[in-house]
Amino acid sequence: MTSYQSELGGRSNVAEELAESQRSISIAEFFEKNKHMLGFDSGARGLVTAVKEAVDNALDATEEAGILPDIYVSITEAGDYYRLVVEDNGPGITKEQLPKVFGKLLYGSRFHVREQKRGQQGIGISAAVLYAQLTSGKPAMITSRTDGDSDAQYFELIVDTDSNEPEISVDTTTSWERPHGTRIELEMEANMRARQQLHDYIKHTAVVNPHARIEFEEPRERLKFERVTDQLPAETEEIRPHPHGIELGSLIKLLDESASHSLSGFLQSEFTRVGQKTAESIVTAFRDRHFGRELAWKPAPAPVIESTVSDVVNNKSPDATATFAQRVAGAVSEQPRLAHHECRAIVANAAEHVKSTTGATFGSTVQGHTVEAIWELILDGVESELTELIDEVTTARKSDETIDGMARRLVTKLNGVDRHRLTHDGIESFVERAATQTEQRDDVTFGETAQQKVTEGVWSISSSVPDDPPSVTAVSNDRDFASELLEAMRETDILAPPTDCLAPITDELVEEGLRKEFDADFYAATTRDAEVHGGDPFIVEAGIAYGGDILSDGSIDVLRFANRVPLVYQRGACATADVITSINWRNYGLDQPGGSGTPNGPAVVLIHVASTNVPFTSESKDAIANVPEIEHEIELAIRDAARDLKRYLKKRRSLQQRKRKRNVIADILPTMAEKLANMTDQQSLMIEDSLARIMSNVLVERTTTDDGVALTITNHTDTSAELSVTDIVSVDPGSPADATVVEMDGEWFVTWEPTVESGATARLQYDLDGEAEFDISIEGIEAEKLSVTA
Amino acid sequence: MAIDTTNQSEEMAREQLLDLAAEFYDQFADGAVPSMQIPTRTKSNIEYDEDSEVWVYGDRHSTRSAKTVSGAKKLLKATYVIDFLSTQLDEDRSSTLRELYYLSESWDHEIAQFSDQNESNQLIEDLEIVSDVSREDFHMRPEESGATLMGPLQLREQTRRGERDIHCQKDVGEGGYQIPNNPDTIEFLDNDADFVLCVETGGMRDRLVENGFDTEYNTIIVHLKGQPARATRRITRRLHDELGLPVVVFTDGDPWSYRIFASVAYGSIKSAHLSEYLATPDARYIGIQPTDIEEYDLPTDPLSDSDINALENELEDPRFQDDFWTTEIEHQLDIGKKAEQQALAARGLDFVTDEYLPTRLDEMGVI
Repeated sequence: MTSYQSELGGRSNVAEELAESQRSISIAEFFEKNKHMLGFDSGARGLVTAVKEAVDNALDATEEAGILPDIYVSITEAGDYYRLVVEDNGPGITKEQLPKVFGKLLYGSRFHVREQKRGQQGIGISAAVLYAQLTSGKPAMITSRTDGDSDAQYFELIVDTDSNEPEISVDTTTSWERPHGTRIELEMEANMRARQQLHDYIKHTAVVNPHARIEFEEPRERLKFERVTDQLPAETEEIRPHPHGIELGSLIKLLDESASHSLSGFLQSEFTRVGQKTAESIVTAFRDRHFGRELAWKPAPAPVIESTVSDVVNNKSPDATATFAQRVAGAVSEQPRLAHHECRAIVANAAEHVKSTTGATFGSTVQGHTVEAIWELILDGVESELTELIDEVTTARKSDETIDGMARRLVTKLNGVDRHRLTHDGIESFVERAATQTEQRDDVTFGETAQQKVTEGVWSISSSVPDDPPSVTAVSNDRDFASELLEAMRETDILAPPTDCLAPITDELVEEGLRKEFDADFYAATTRDAEVHGGDPFIVEAGIAYGGDILSDGSIDVLRFANRVPLVYQRGACATADVITSINWRNYGLDQPGGSGTPNGPAVVLIHVASTNVPFTSESKDAIANVPEIEHEIELAIRDAARDLKRYLKKRRSLQQRKRKRNVIADILPTMAEKLANMTDQQSLMIEDSLARIMSNVLVERTTTDDGVALTITNHTDTSAELSVTDIVSVDPGSPADATVVEMDGEWFVTWEPTVESGATARLQYDLDGEAEFDISIEGIEAEKLSVTA
Repeated sequence: MAIDTTNQSEEMAREQLLDLAAEFYDQFADGAVPSMQIPTRTKSNIEYDEDSEVWVYGDRHSTRSAKTVSGAKKLLKATYVIDFLSTQLDEDRSSTLRELYYLSESWDHEIAQFSDQNESNQLIEDLEIVSDVSREDFHMRPEESGATLMGPLQLREQTRRGERDIHCQKDVGEGGYQIPNNPDTIEFLDNDADFVLCVETGGMRDRLVENGFDTEYNTIIVHLKGQPARATRRITRRLHDELGLPVVVFTDGDPWSYRIFASVAYGSIKSAHLSEYLATPDARYIGIQPTDIEEYDLPTDPLSDSDINALENELEDPRFQDDFWTTEIEHQLDIGKKAEQQALAARGLDFVTDEYLPTRLDEMGVI
């Protein structure tokens, strides 16, 4: 089951619904029944979940206060139970905040808030508190110290399982070495069978939170993760929901709670990206659904209207009647098309005008008759107009009879509707029925495409009605109204939600995090631009570490994160797994048996999805749901990082090949040269130059004479080489041209920075008196591409 | 005189080899990449030389260069082989191609050793081409025992035990005279022959000898033993050039036998560099011709797929581009049959000597 969890109320919503249906039972029983969904289905899992909730909480608390997190987690055996302690250096909490944070189960402090937060990921620390209490009977022990306080506060907290209300049973002061922060201690039934997952969770947390210092102690091991950056994650902004990303239940809830009266006001105040104009568009779309539109037709010519209106009006002065008729006819003829409500407005307007100029009153009865008369005239022309319209929108192959038949039948249906007021669906069903009748009686076809075109054609000549939309209260009380509103919201074009509310880890820090925890040969990371799915913005990041100390047997490791929280369970059910197995990794230089599935090799792939609302496959929030937009971005992010890996592996392979070739050639050539010298009775050969040429290397050769040294650099590679050549000499070399000389402890460092084009030769020279020792170092080129005889 | 020639050619061979080594040496000394150029030895790179009337290599070359690992390995092997050959010449010894292959196992550098005999054979061919010295002059012998000839010919052979005068009918048994590996050690003294008949199969050669065909028609019967060895081809050429004898070739009537004829007459693709020395351009094909199959109603076998393939390849082979071969090959593809020389026995054991060969030789104007 996919839970997009986009109902308002974030994490609490589903659980609340669960609780709602089970009101008659105690919270303890509710917890017991649902613990598998809450992540407490076993002692082993319960411990992981409790650690996770407490650490997420601690990280959020410190970051919100702008403090670099310093977190200590310890698990110790305590008789039959395990004791979990989590400490942070956050701002600390007051007694008043205490129940909100630790107490009431399913209390969502982030109700109505769309923000990228770790807390979105869990069920809350309160669940851990309750789990501890239910299994060990012990209260949660909380120590807190706010900055500047001389003492720390100590509380014991119990949740009343009947009322789901937290109770503070102990409230004293104590001393604590941290200047500020919070410490929570829980005792619970647990075991360490999920040790690996615990370690993974902590280690992975350290990877994506390089700004945090984390210490972890359990009965057997102790892990310590140092901080590598002082850069806190960017602060995230809360955003209101986006009209495209809301579901009906949440909409109704929002309507219920809104203080606005008008729909337009409601939309503008509750949603992001909705200003007055967008709100009007939504309301109009809603009205079109709610009331329907009125079809507008070409009015009769002005003189006809004028005389008709004159005929209809009785008992008014000829002068007033004439003014009225003229006024109406004039206004009508200005309209290319006229809907019933427009007609009414014109008539009412004319009546107003006549009253103000002649003093004659044209009351509602007269107005009514006038409108009716004009509408009668219009109806006369409807059939021919409709014929024209159908002819226009359908293909030329339709016969006149077919079109006439369609128009005739459609008119009959339309005329049965008061004021020609219809919804889109209404028109569609009329057209469909008319088409069916035409097909049956005239034995012709009038296909779906043609029907659709006629429907759209008719809809295009309709105009929205001026009726006032129902109030917010009315809409909130009627599910159908709300549903119409939701459709209108979805149909209206609205700017995508802002993406600055997201705080990606950034590619640099992803790489930094991997570098910190994995001793590899190669790292790559990428952060994609923000994208939107439904109404929620999201950002995908990916990183790859390869080689080094990473184990090379078996599958690669996949590190999954949602809003910086590691996902340690249900790896196979995750969208990331699907994406990884769908990629052809051979193309990127990794081994993939059979060409599909998880690749093998010494690599770690990291995937982070940051969103105001990460969709999960289930309530336990262990696996990201298969949302196409998110999968697509995950794939692009991975491929981006993998391309860097491919380049690296390719280069590495080519250097390895070069090395192998060098080894073989360097084995062969000297033997060959020696043999040739013997056979031809000549002196033995120097073959470095040939070797460098064969290897397409940069060759550096030294020639020393009595009064100087020359370094000859020959570039046999196919690219130009920018080198830094340092010759360390035991005798003062004076001041050679184009070189810098630094003396250190009786050694002279002579450095040149020559650029040698492909195929060219450079000569570096300096003068020297007497015997000297040399030590040369060359930078700017891979060792495999360098041959030195100096 | 013959001994002098041999010594001269040995000395020349040694010098050529050392020149090659010196060339490599100079390449190293110049800081260049050691390399050697060899003509590409494929069907597409042979062309007809109008002057010598044989097929020789065209101007497409491939380069063995130390720039690549495989090229470097080949050059190292070449260096070892050059060293070995020059020593062998110096010591006036000889060895077979197979011995060279085994001998390489004793070389100190593992990479210099040959992985199979094909490799060492090819390298010898490479050196022949580059140094312009034939492998006989390197004192490299092929494995195959030489073929035989029989006919009214008196010759003098240089053997390790001195000169021997041999008459190739009177001084030999039924088996005939064994052609030595280097036929250039032979001197022709006297002959009574009218023409040379090269025969593909042993069975047919024996039939001709048994029927006394060599005596009756004054012919030198050369046994080709399938694809003829270089010595066989060389002596054929010498019989033609030096004694002015016409040469006819008698083989089976199938595509593989046409290739035997082609290598006698035009030179083989593998040794096109020696065509001038080995090929006999005036040699003519006597049969079995595909048209004979119908004319004499010979027992046949159907053409296999590989036969058809070979025939089609021959239609594209530059050596077969004349009217006679094009017509005959196309005809054979039409009838889809092939016949062996021995198929003539269907008409009686004497048919070939009494009827088939005399008629054909008469038609060709040889007798």
